[in-house]
Amino acid sequence: MTIVVGYVPTPEGEAALSQAIAEARHRNTRLLVINSAKGDALVDNRYAQEQEIQSVEDRLASQGIDHVIKQPVRGHDAAVEVLDAAEEHNAELIVIGLRRRSPVGKLIMGSTSQRILLEADCPVLAVKAG
Amino acid sequence: MDVWSSLMDGFATALTPMNFLYAVIGVILGTAVGVLPGLGPAMTVALLLPVTYALEPTSAFIMFAGIYYGGMYGGSTTSILLNTPGESSSVITAIEGNKMAKAGRAAQALATAAIGSFVAGTIGTALLALFAPIVVEFAVSLGAPSYFAIMVLALLAVTAVLGSSRLRGFSALGLGLAIGLVGMGSGQARLTFGQPLLADGLDIVVIAVAVFAVGEALWVAAHLRRTPLHAIPVGRPWMGKSDWKRSWKPWLRGTAFGFPFGALPAGGAEIPTFLSYVTEKRLSKHPEEFGKGAIEGVAGPEAANNAAAAGTLTPMLALGLPTNATAAVMLAAFTSYGIQPGPQLFASQGPLVWALIASLFIGNFLLLLINLPLAPMWAKLLQLPRPYLYAGILFFATLGAYSVNLQAFDLLLLLIFGAMGFMMRRFGLPVLPLILGVILGPRLEDQLRKALQLSSGDPAGLLSEPIAVVVYIIVVIILAFPLLLKLIRPNRPATSLLAPNATRGNEPTDVG
Amino acid sequence: MSSIASGLKGRAELGVALLLGVAGVVVFVDASRLNITYSQTDPVGPKTLPYIVAGLLIVCAVFLAIDVLRGGKGEAEAGEDIDLAHPADWKTVLPLVGAFVANILLIDWAGWVISGTILFWGSAWALGSRHYVRDALISIGMSVATFYGFYLGLGIPLPAGLLKGIL
Repeated sequence: MTIVVGYVPTPEGEAALSQAIAEARHRNTRLLVINSAKGDALVDNRYAQEQEIQSVEDRLASQGIDHVIKQPVRGHDAAVEVLDAAEEHNAELIVIGLRRRSPVGKLIMGSTSQRILLEADCPVLAVKAG
Repeated sequence: MDVWSSLMDGFATALTPMNFLYAVIGVILGTAVGVLPGLGPAMTVALLLPVTYALEPTSAFIMFAGIYYGGMYGGSTTSILLNTPGESSSVITAIEGNKMAKAGRAAQALATAAIGSFVAGTIGTALLALFAPIVVEFAVSLGAPSYFAIMVLALLAVTAVLGSSRLRGFSALGLGLAIGLVGMGSGQARLTFGQPLLADGLDIVVIAVAVFAVGEALWVAAHLRRTPLHAIPVGRPWMGKSDWKRSWKPWLRGTAFGFPFGALPAGGAEIPTFLSYVTEKRLSKHPEEFGKGAIEGVAGPEAANNAAAAGTLTPMLALGLPTNATAAVMLAAFTSYGIQPGPQLFASQGPLVWALIASLFIGNFLLLLINLPLAPMWAKLLQLPRPYLYAGILFFATLGAYSVNLQAFDLLLLLIFGAMGFMMRRFGLPVLPLILGVILGPRLEDQLRKALQLSSGDPAGLLSEPIAVVVYIIVVIILAFPLLLKLIRPNRPATSLLAPNATRGNEPTDVG
Repeated sequence: MSSIASGLKGRAELGVALLLGVAGVVVFVDASRLNITYSQTDPVGPKTLPYIVAGLLIVCAVFLAIDVLRGGKGEAEAGEDIDLAHPADWKTVLPLVGAFVANILLIDWAGWVISGTILFWGSAWALGSRHYVRDALISIGMSVATFYGFYLGLGIPLPAGLLKGIL
């Protein structure tokens, strides 16, 4: 069994990661970290750069958690990537970070977390930034 | 006519509400395309050419002037925040600028670039206003033989000096000259293949849009960067007292390097930005900061870059000789409006030229005013989805090329020459010699004809003026220079500074 | 320089030399069939410049071929949005060209609003956008806006085609 966490280099993403680490230790399972980008813009600040991935890697390794970090860039929404990974690895839990968004922002951009909450086949744990 | 009063008249024209509005549109558009990946000022002016047919030429050129300077501001913003210089002239800015930004000094890097560009652009434009009439006075005294020689010099210099492979430069020049031959020039149908649609020649607008917009869009589409980058977050640019103290001398020195190189037929902006960088590194009180984000290393090269841009307009306006891509497309614009570029331009189109120069001053000021507060917004532009960006380029390229003559045949030409532009980018043929060949080829033939008419067909007539002889000697020196260099210093190591990133492709090789 | 990969790459660039050579020959042949009408007013004649250009092209073709065979390579153009680390992505370029060709074929018959919509939507699709509805709305909006913009603003009548009478 696996826990899947949707990671973005933001406070919400860090909060989700911390929670996921706690869950993984508690349940003693493998942790799959997904940080995806659609790859349609030159600049995407939600796509973690090498340094950030390295620090996540270090953090997981130091806590002795069995983990895999993936950064798919295949033109899909982040929600699709997280859901795909959860299905593929038969996840027992998905952990995501929530951020506050205005109703208008949600209307235009849609909401990644909403889609994961609605479409996931396993429990979803949603965390807010501390 | 006296420079000062002409310039004041220019300001009066450029500051009418409509023209001022075009100046504002120009600088905003210019900055946006400078920031956006894959778009540049040359492409933008080319795309706008057909649209501006309905405008007064003066308004159109005021807008183009804004795009010209704005593009450079935008370009330096991305080199600082992303370390992906779009043009070779901003490579140097990226070295120290991006290091500064990474060290949390993005605001200062952007500020010194913007204010330095303003200082250099203003001084450069003033020098342009001062020197262009002098060059014109000298140029009108020249006969056809000298003018022919100078055009040959400009073509060969751009081809031989800029770019990494002379052989590929000359290949591009040959293709451009061949394209320029098409049509009824000299009374005979050349390269028309019996096709009546080709009798008027290939429309320079279609060629420019094809090479700069379609070719570029296809090329980028084939090699889209797959891993997204991070833009370094930035607030409103500002500088502290010590930053000012460290910046103002590099600005002035950069300007001194940039303007003369820009004004030379083959100067370009790469050499002066590089020279400025090296000079600042040597003169700095903090040489240890170089390579780690020294503000002098942003201030100097940025100023040099903008001063060179102003310098480039001197031969463009005074002699009708463009030496960079944007100037070439602007020259094509003159031709499309039926305005004959060359030394007569100041006399025949005085009000237009002076309004253009005045709008350069205005544009520079507007850029400073607009860009200091808006830098964070420009950085947001980089998140625009690229499918829309490049689809938009193709959409407007098609629209522009079609609207010139309203015939689908032009779109076929657009595709063919777009494919050629793609091929040139793939195999390292520079685009500038091609476009210069298309524009200058027919004028070159005209001057040759005039020169030989004077001598009743005797080729020796080409050497009948002393200036012509001097120019030919320079041509020979330029062509022979690399050979001389090889003789003096075999295996000279390439200056590694000019290519600091691994963004370069295969190593160039040269046979010429 | 003996590996198969570099040999293939070299061969692709020989195509450029071939193109230059063909262009040179075409310019030469075209110029040579012009009738020369020697006159005092035009000592240059229509042939001089074509011959020079043909010569330049052919010489460049020969030198380029030699350079490529010796292992020389053109430096592919870099840019802010360009990643030369991976090979040319024909899966993107060919559909783009397809959308472009569709526009050429359709513009006079179907009109700009339809052909322009196809061009924009097709290009966005080729470049990887999968928001079909949003793309369609943007495409139609841009085509209609430019149609009226050119007609009312610039006085340029773009073809209305099939939608004549509606627009």
